[in-house]
Amino acid sequence: MSLDLIWTLVCKDIVLYFRNPFFAFVTVIGVVAYVAIYFVMPDSVDERLDIGLYGPSLPAALAAEFEEGGIVFHRKESTRDLRQGIVSDEYEVGVFWPDLGAAVANDEPVVVELIFANDFPTDMREAYQLMFQEIALGVLGQPLLIEATEEVLGPDMAGQQIPLRERLVPLMVIFILMTEMLGVASLISGEVEAGTIRALLVTPLRVEGFFVAKAVMSVGLAFGQAMIILVAVGGVGERPLPLIATILCGAILVTGIGFMVGSVARDMMSVMAWGMVFMIVLSIPLTTLLMPGLLGPWIQVLPTYYLADTMHQLSNFEAGWSDVSGNLLILLVYSVVFLGVGMVALRRKFQ
Amino acid sequence: MSVRMVLVLLRKELIDGPKSFMFILAVVLPLILTLLLSAGDLFDGKGGLGVVAAEDSQFLALAQEVASIDVVTYADEASLRAAVERGEVDLGIVVPAGLEEMLASGEMGRLEAYIWGESLLKHRLLLGTTLVTLLRELAGQEIPVDIRTTTVGTAVEVPLEERLLPVVVLISILFGSLMVTATSVVEEKLKGTLRALTVTPATWGDVLMAKGVMGVLVSVVMAIVVLVLNGGWGERPFLLLLTLVSGAVGSATFGVLLGLWAKDVNSLFATIKSLGLFLYAPAFIYFFPSWPQWLGRVFPTYYILEPVIAVSQRGEGLGGVVAELGVMVVMVLGLWWGIGQVVEREKVGH
Repeated sequence: MSLDLIWTLVCKDIVLYFRNPFFAFVTVIGVVAYVAIYFVMPDSVDERLDIGLYGPSLPAALAAEFEEGGIVFHRKESTRDLRQGIVSDEYEVGVFWPDLGAAVANDEPVVVELIFANDFPTDMREAYQLMFQEIALGVLGQPLLIEATEEVLGPDMAGQQIPLRERLVPLMVIFILMTEMLGVASLISGEVEAGTIRALLVTPLRVEGFFVAKAVMSVGLAFGQAMIILVAVGGVGERPLPLIATILCGAILVTGIGFMVGSVARDMMSVMAWGMVFMIVLSIPLTTLLMPGLLGPWIQVLPTYYLADTMHQLSNFEAGWSDVSGNLLILLVYSVVFLGVGMVALRRKFQ
Repeated sequence: MSVRMVLVLLRKELIDGPKSFMFILAVVLPLILTLLLSAGDLFDGKGGLGVVAAEDSQFLALAQEVASIDVVTYADEASLRAAVERGEVDLGIVVPAGLEEMLASGEMGRLEAYIWGESLLKHRLLLGTTLVTLLRELAGQEIPVDIRTTTVGTAVEVPLEERLLPVVVLISILFGSLMVTATSVVEEKLKGTLRALTVTPATWGDVLMAKGVMGVLVSVVMAIVVLVLNGGWGERPFLLLLTLVSGAVGSATFGVLLGLWAKDVNSLFATIKSLGLFLYAPAFIYFFPSWPQWLGRVFPTYYILEPVIAVSQRGEGLGGVVAELGVMVVMVLGLWWGIGQVVEREKVGH
C-alpha cells in the first residue's frame, strides 16, 4: 500500500466533496447554522412557576417554602396591578389571596381567586386550582394523614437543569456525522457512475488502498466538523479525551454505513434514498436527548444510542472514562462491524 | 400543447413516479409528521405520574380524571422504577393495598414515591400537590376552600398541535409538488429525454405539464390526507380543495422552473436547501402567534398556505381568501413566463 497514492486520493476526494454544491453547502452552512442555533437558544431552563400574588396574609414562612419548591411570587399592591401583570406578560397566573384566618373566624366562606391569561392552557388550570387549594389547607392547618418516603432516581438536577441547547449539542454533532455518511456514499457512487473506480484499481493503489483512502477522508471530515462544532460551542469540557474517542468511533461508524450505502446506490438520488432510510433509523435514539423516556429500552439495539448517550453523559453530566467505558466498548464494536460490513459490500461490488 | 399527449405522458408519470425516492418521501413524510402531531402528549407540557395500583383502585380512577397530569400505569414496582429512571414519568408512586381504607378510617397511611432526577421543579410541585389533593379526597376530608377562576386578556389559546398543522400542510404541498416535479424534470434533463422529445410529436410543454400535474395530484392528495387526519377539513370542502389546488399549482410551476434551471440533482438539492428557510418562513410565523403576522405576506409561500389555513381552521369563505388566490394567479403567470424563457433558451442551445 503506497502512502503517497493514498494521500493523493484523499486530497482528490476532499476537492471533489467540496465541488459537489449540495454537500459543500450542507457542510459549511450546517456547521455555521448549528453553532448559530446554539448561541441563539436560552442558556438556562425556566423550571419555575411565575405567579402574581395580591394578598398580604399569606404567611411568609409558607411563601418561602413554596418559593424554594419552584414558585416565584410577584407581589402586587392591588387586584388591578395583579391583572396588569398578566396583561403585560410578567406572569401567566395571578392569585388573589384573602385573609383565610379572618374568614374562618367570621364563619365566612374561604374564597381564593385565580386569574389566568386567556390563552393559558385550559388543561393546566386544574393543576393550579389544586395547588392553591393545597396551600390554603396548609394555611388552615389541615394535615394529611400520610407518611411519604421519596427517592430521587438519577442525579437530582432540580434547580440546575440542563438547558435545551446543551442537550442539542450531541444531536448536532451526530447529524453532522450522518451528513458525512451521505457524502462518502455519494463520492463512492460517483466513482462507480463515472467508471473511475475501475481505472483506480488497475493502478498500484489496490482495493485496500482505496478503502483506506476513502475511510481516512470520510473519518477525517466527519471528525473535523464535529470537533469544530464542539470547540465553537465550548463543548469539549475538562475531559476531552473520552469525548474525542467517542466522536472518532462515531466517525468510523458513519463511514462504514456510508460504504454500505455507496455499495447499493447507483447515483445521487439513490444515495439520498438509501441514506435517508439509514438516517431516519439512526436518528430515532436522538429523540431521547430532547425527550428522555419517550422511547422504551428497545432503542439500545441501535448504534447511535451509544453515541448519543455517551456524548450526553460526557457533555452534560461530567462523566469520565469509567462511566462511559461500557457504552464506548459497544460503540467501538458496532463501528468496527459496520466498517467491515461496508468494506465487504463494496469489495463484492467491485470484484 | 396537446391534451391527449399530456394525458399519455401523465399516465407514464403515474406508473413510473411512485418508484422514485422523492415520490415515496412526499407520501411518507407528511404521514410521519401527522403521526407525531397526533401524539399530543409529546407537546402538552404536563407532568407525568406513574402509578402501580390495583385495577379497581379508587386512587387510580380519581387520578385519571385530572386533566392537568398524564397518568401512566405500571404492572409492578420494578417497572415503575425503571420508567422513572428513564424519564418516562416525572413522579412514580406505589399505592399499597388497603391505603384507601386506612385513609378513610383516619389511620396514618404510607406511600413510596420515586422522583425522576431531571424532572422540572414545577412538575414536581404540581404533581405533588395534585397527589395530596387526591389523597385528601380519598380520605373524605372536607375542603373548606372555594377556588374561583377568571381570565384576563384577549389572546386566544392556540394548542401546539394546531400551530404545527400549517408546517405539516406546507411540507405536504412543497414536497409533493415542488420536490417531486423539480427532481423529475432535472432527471429527464440529465437522461437526455427532453432533447429526444424534439424529434417526437410531444412538445416540451406537454412533458412539463404532465410532470406538473403529477406533482399537483400528489401534493393535493397528501394535503387532504393530512387535513383529514388532523381534523382540519373544515366546513367548506370545495373551497378548501380550490385553495389546495391553487397552492399546489403555484408550487409545481416553481418546481418545473427549478428543475429546468438546475444543472444536476446536486445543484437542485443545494438550491432547495438554501431556499428552505425562505419557503417555510410563513409556517414558522404561524407557529408564534405573538409575532406580527403580516410578516408572512413577504414570502411567496404565504399565498399557498394562508388560503388553506383560513378556510380549514378559521372557516373563512371565498371572500376571505380571494386576494391571496389572486396573488397566487399572478405569481403562476409570472412563473409560466419564466418557464417559457428557459425552454426557449434550452431549445436554441440544442
